[in-house]
Formats: sequence, structure tokens, C-alpha cells
Amino acid sequence: MCRTGQPDPHDAGDEQTSDAAFAALLEDSAEELYESAPCGYLSTLMDGTIAKVNTTLLGWLGLERAAVVGRMRFPDLLTVGGKLYHETHFAPLLRMQGEIGGIALEVKRAGGARMPVLVSSVVKHGDAGEPLLIRTTVFDARDRRAYEEELLRGRKAAEEARKQAEADRARLQEALAVLQQSLLPATLPPVPGVETAAHYHTASPDRLGGDFYDVFPVDGKRFAFFLGDVCGKGPQAAAVTSLTRYTLRAAALHDPDPVSALSTLNKVLHERYTGSGDPRYCTAVFGTLEPDPVTGQVAIHLASGGHPPVLVLRADGTADFLPTPGGLLVGVLPSARFVTATTCLAPGDTLLLYTDGLTEARTGQDRTSLYGDEALLAFAARHAGKSPTDVIQALTDLLDGFGAGLDDDTALLALGAPAPTL
Amino acid sequence: MTARDAATGPVLEIAGELDHVHANTLREVLTTLTLRPGQRLVLDLAAMEFCDSSGITALIAAYRHAQAAHADFALAAVPAPTRRILRIVGLDQTFRLHPDSDTATRPRPTTT
Repeated sequence: MCRTGQPDPHDAGDEQTSDAAFAALLEDSAEELYESAPCGYLSTLMDGTIAKVNTTLLGWLGLERAAVVGRMRFPDLLTVGGKLYHETHFAPLLRMQGEIGGIALEVKRAGGARMPVLVSSVVKHGDAGEPLLIRTTVFDARDRRAYEEELLRGRKAAEEARKQAEADRARLQEALAVLQQSLLPATLPPVPGVETAAHYHTASPDRLGGDFYDVFPVDGKRFAFFLGDVCGKGPQAAAVTSLTRYTLRAAALHDPDPVSALSTLNKVLHERYTGSGDPRYCTAVFGTLEPDPVTGQVAIHLASGGHPPVLVLRADGTADFLPTPGGLLVGVLPSARFVTATTCLAPGDTLLLYTDGLTEARTGQDRTSLYGDEALLAFAARHAGKSPTDVIQALTDLLDGFGAGLDDDTALLALGAPAPTL
Repeated sequence: MTARDAATGPVLEIAGELDHVHANTLREVLTTLTLRPGQRLVLDLAAMEFCDSSGITALIAAYRHAQAAHADFALAAVPAPTRRILRIVGLDQTFRLHPDSDTATRPRPTTT
């Protein structure tokens, strides 16, 4: 944009023409302007008696001038609510300030209808400063009111949508909680001659976890247990978790041999997810425990598929990993090798199963180092000899202590031969 | 993620983090890769800084992709933390691991 300072040659002629046109249009008198203005005018005495009113306002009211001037007071034009507001707020403020502007009121129309208006008033004073009369303008606020109502309606609709969204979210969370519970046993069954304890740490209440564990009877003498971790998170992972849990339970009833149960699971997962382009697999430890009621010892047979080694905490205060090296992730290959291990829990010994949320928890000031196997082994040794319940409690406190460093789900399961009561 | 061709077949060099996002990229790249029977798909992890469970899933997807094409599969220069995870989950027995991409792309002596 540039200005040269030179007048546009076209401007001069145009200006003259439009001035003439304006003059012709503006030849109406001040009286005409007053009467037909696009707003209502009225002048009242200080007691409210209407002294003068314009045609526009009379038209809105549907009243004859003779019925109004000298006969009605300004509040008479208002609805009951308007009258009240006029008495309590409008008039006192006007007296105090000498003017008042933009007050929303409603006037009564002849047919009984109401009309929303915006009212402004100013007090005219005499030479000595004494109040003489009140001049009032009345603006038609019907469109504005409609607009405000539209806004209110919009706001109400938004509010309802928000409430609905919150209700949906609550329902979804409830559904998630129910599903999550179906992935884990509500309580562990009592196992004669064995004390059990478990803990599940959820990294995020909104997300279905992928860790799982279970303990259940397989025949008169033996119980089976498993614990594992499904790859990924969310609904897809939960579907795998569910499939895994119930496959292992069914497989164990058919044949409680640990390698056999894991092989069945491997076959099921591999067949289900092969060719989907979305490999799904899990790590799992599956085992059986057989308590000897005479000696109080518990024989453990287990197999691992890609899972970190379980820990054995001995009554004498030592702890060791029970290595299962080379056991493959479950569901990756059509046939997989699983590695077995056996041990015997004497009274006071505890077997501890965990998922890698525990060992992969980030520790240290900058949360860059991992908690790790060695720290876990040392921790286990410090708590060796304690009951499964106490061990799980200590680990739960440890997990809580990780705070934000623990960003994965973590499952813990402890199975112990109770120490003899003294 | 860069791809190059060696005498043995395609080599994918994976740099940075093989997390959820980059694992998806790897899986997309795999689908565009031409892999002929008898070739070897090599993933060079020398510049990989981090690999989580989604990364492991992507490695498995790559392995399956190679198997489906009747091709070989090998990993080169696997960083120690990832090698540890592969050992825990038993995949070190399944994947062929090489110290570097040179040995990974060395043609195998032909067998009869």
C-alpha cells in the first residue's frame, strides 16, 4: 500500500454528488428522527410519569399515545420481574449515578407477549443542578436474546456431551477393570502345606496389563502355577493374556507336565497369530508343586519359555536363581524348546516368580540405570527365610519406592513351604 | 534406517531407538524389501541405542519375513543389553548372531 499525497482525480466529482444525495436524504426533521428512530425514546418526570414517548416504542408496546402520556409510569410498561428490578436496582442506581446503561428488561406488549429490551437512562438537570426529568432509550433485544438463548443452548448441549463422555469413560474404565480381573485370580486358592502370596502392579489404570499369574489344583496331590508376560499392552495384549491363561489352565488339566503345558500354549499362540503380520507371544514360567504332608517339603517342577529365572529364597538366609537358560518365547516358532528345572522347598523356603517390570525398573537420580538381576538377588537374600506374604510385602514396598521409574506392569508370585511353628 | 545390498542380500542398518514407533517403520520397510530364496536378510544393529519389547517383536517379524521368503536371517553387531534380552527370551538360539556386518554378509560355503 502506498500513498502519494496526490488527490485521486475521480474523488472530487464523486464527493460532490454524494453530498447532494445525503442532503436530500437527511432533510427529515429532528422530530421525524425522534419519532421513527430504530429505538424507543421516552422522557419521564422524576416520579416516573411518562411525559413523552416516540412512535417506535408505542408501536412495540401496541399502545395509543393518549393512553400512555401522563397516564402511565415507566415501570407500568415492564413485566412483574422488570418492575421489581426497576424498583430495587434501576431507579436507585439512576438516582445515585445520574445515568445507567444497557440494562436488560422485558416490556409488556398489548397482546400479553413480552419483549426483551435493553434500557439506558440519563437524568436531565436544571441550571441549579436540580433533577428535572429522565430520558430513556429502549433497544429491541429480541435478536440478542435469541442469540443468547442459542449460546445457552449450545453451552447446555456441550455440558451434556461432556457429562456423557464422562459417563462413557467411567463405564469403559469399569469394563476394563472387570476384564483385568478376569485375567488374574481374585484370590489364590488355599494350597494345603503351601503358603502363597501374589501382587500385581498396574503401570496405568487405563491400560489393560499384559502380565498374568495363577495357581490352581490339577489332581489330588498337585497344584499348578504359572506367571508370565505378554508382549505389548492394551486390549490386544489383554486378549493374548486371556487366551494364555485359559489355555494353560486347560492344558494342565489334560497333562500337568510343564513342558507339555507350555508346548500346548506355544502351538495355540503360534497358530492364532501366525500370518497376522502382528506376532504375539509371551514369556511364561509354568510349574507344578507337590507338598509332602509328612516332611513338609514341597517338590517343584517347572519349565520356562523366555522368562527371567525364578528365585529360591532359603530358610537359612541365602537366595539363588533357578536358571532356565535357552527356553524360548512362547508363540514365536511352530515348535519351541522349553527348559525345565526342579527344586525342593524345605520348610521356610520360598519360590519367587516375577516379571521383568521389576528388574527393568529405572533407578538412580536420572533414572537411567536398571534395577537389575544382581540387586534383586541381593534383595531376595536379605528377605530369605521370611514367609511368602512378608516377601511379597517387602517387594511391594520396593516397587512403590521406584515411583516413576516403574513404568511397566509387574506381577509377583511367591510360593513357600511354611516354616515350622515354634 | 538405511538399506543396502550386500553379496548375500539386503542389509538393513538400524540406528537409534528401536521402540514402538521405529519398530513399526522397520515392519513397513520389510514389506517393501525384495528378498529372494537363498538370500540372507541382515539387520545391522551396530548403531542401535535402545530396543524394547516392541523392538524384539519387530526382530521376530523380520525373522518370519525372511523365513516366509525362504531366506536366511542374521543379526550383526547386537549391542550387549539387547543380546542379554535375546538370551533371556531364548532367541539367541534362534537368530544367527554375528559380531559385525562383514561377517554377517560373508557368503556361506556352499553345501551339497
